Amino acid sequence: MRRLKYQLKNIRRDKLCLLTFLLPIVVGALIRALPALNFQAMNEISFGSVQGDLSEEMSRWLQDSGNLTEYENVKELKAAVNDPATQLIGVLRAGNGLRVFLSGDEFEMYRTIGETLPQLYEKRADRAVFSKKVIPASEDFDGMKSLLIVITLVTAMFMGCTFNSMNMIGEKEDGVSLVNQILPMDARTYIFQKLALGCIGGIASTLATAFLCVRILPRQMAFLFLLVTLSAYFASLIGLLIGHFSSGMMAGIGCIKIIMILFLAPPIVFYLLTPADSLAYRLSYLFPSSAAFYGLMGLLNGQGEKWLLHLGILFAHAVFLTIVSKKAIFAS
Amino acid sequence: MNGFSYLLKKDLKMMLSGKFFLLAFLSLVLYSAYINLVYVRLEQGRYPVYVCDPNSRTAANLAYISKAESRRELEKACADRTSVGIDFTAEKSEIYMLSSGSEKTDHYREIWGKAVLTGIENTKTKTVGLYDKEEKSRREITAEFLFFELSAVGFLGLASILFKEKQMGVIRVHGILPVRKSVFILSKLCVFLFSDLLFTALLTGINVGVSDSFMILPAALLQAGILSLIMALIGLICAALLPDFKQFSLFYLVLAVFITTPVFLAGQTGISWKWLRYHPMHHLFTAMKSAYFGASAASVLYYVVCLGAIVLLFCGAVGALRREAAREG
Repeated sequence: MRRLKYQLKNIRRDKLCLLTFLLPIVVGALIRALPALNFQAMNEISFGSVQGDLSEEMSRWLQDSGNLTEYENVKELKAAVNDPATQLIGVLRAGNGLRVFLSGDEFEMYRTIGETLPQLYEKRADRAVFSKKVIPASEDFDGMKSLLIVITLVTAMFMGCTFNSMNMIGEKEDGVSLVNQILPMDARTYIFQKLALGCIGGIASTLATAFLCVRILPRQMAFLFLLVTLSAYFASLIGLLIGHFSSGMMAGIGCIKIIMILFLAPPIVFYLLTPADSLAYRLSYLFPSSAAFYGLMGLLNGQGEKWLLHLGILFAHAVFLTIVSKKAIFAS
Repeated sequence: MNGFSYLLKKDLKMMLSGKFFLLAFLSLVLYSAYINLVYVRLEQGRYPVYVCDPNSRTAANLAYISKAESRRELEKACADRTSVGIDFTAEKSEIYMLSSGSEKTDHYREIWGKAVLTGIENTKTKTVGLYDKEEKSRREITAEFLFFELSAVGFLGLASILFKEKQMGVIRVHGILPVRKSVFILSKLCVFLFSDLLFTALLTGINVGVSDSFMILPAALLQAGILSLIMALIGLICAALLPDFKQFSLFYLVLAVFITTPVFLAGQTGISWKWLRYHPMHHLFTAMKSAYFGASAASVLYYVVCLGAIVLLFCGAVGALRREAAREG
């Protein structure tokens, strides 16, 4: 225990580790501070028109369904529609109706909206009788925001690998690891300490971020804690491997960059693109971060039914990597 | 001149031994795999409309409509917060949906659902753009990855070499050699410029397609060269001034997160902040992106400023190196 305390003291002086520890917390605080409106506007449809072209009724009708921006002339409107970063739909007046133009690179959703907009406008007076039942989104549900929160949390969890790998590489470069070899400390203790270092760092950073930006119910607490612990343990093992096998700081940073991309990108992509019962979605559980990601997403959306599955998959990953890394480290 | 070629050879060797090319190659593979397997396939479909109509009260085969067998199935299909459900089982027909969180979007979904029921035709709409969706996404993401790789990673590469040389005492030796500081820097810049340009050509060729690349590359290589020179020089100055690699990577983290993130966000989502035009990286990013979209991008002023910045940074780098050599004795 006293040795672990020394390790923690040692890492406290390391500014890089401190920064990676604080970074997710700062980002979490920023996300919490951002007004929800900002994110919603990104999901809304954007229309563009030319000043003074549309009648008041048309403008109002468009503004009921999305955000309308006015441009000074047709040329500017065309440039805005053409801007590859936006999905803007250009709307002009054609007699009593609307005329639409697109840039041709839109997602199918916006292309369909644009192509059918004049017909929708013609039918605006159509009053078929429907009763309406809209289930409101839960109070703080904001799809974009929860996605950002989960990305931050998963990053924090897997940042755990930077703590111990950077620490180990630093020791290697300073010659501490050579000194360690003649000290009466066996490899097992050394590995255990470095593992604990990454694990504690990852857990603390993630939990601090989670408490900042997620409203957690008491009954979810145990699930969150287990999820975070397992992922942090996994990340810490990865960190141990990186620290053990990379020769210098540069190679270490390169490895961490690739690992972070590999861990973060697949779950986001699969979550957004594939339906939950497809084969691709199930295959994505081969990435350990997927289970953590889906579990957290479920937690935020209030659908916690699959928590046992997610924990089980994470546990299996952790056990598997423990065996593999034990073999790899002791073999070399 | 002889000395210069030796310096070049030495820098190339250092890059090889630092596994720089291996890392760049891995990044190339990773980026290309992501673009071709994932990014190009990203699609946001239209709002699905599910109709539960066991008694056939509406026309059965309208466009854009999916059938739901029961109310339960309808509710399940609508759980994704984008679908619109229309239920004809009860006496009074009902629109059922889960709110997407935005009132405007919900309103649109409602009128879309109703309009689809009365029949809607797919009309051709005028398009004003030059590219279809796939071409656009390929060009867009290639420009963004390239920008990221050059600004964040190129910066790191040069610094890591300089730190290694510092450790080995190369700078101390150079202090007494009859080689000018500017030549020392120039050889490093050349090597990195060459590798960055190669990376640009490969990334563009693989992901945009070879024939389109010939149209894009002249402009893209120019922008990549400017970016590469600026970032390499900044990396060199930082590496000369900061005492060890750890402090340097701290600085790198700050740079990568706080300097490139706003630029990316603005590029991907079209949000524009007023202060963004005072962000120098934003202009470099815009120029890079317009190179990929064949737009006559930057003004003469932009090139003048870039050239000025490169010259200034070069002088700064020579100064920093001289100071470092003096300190090392």
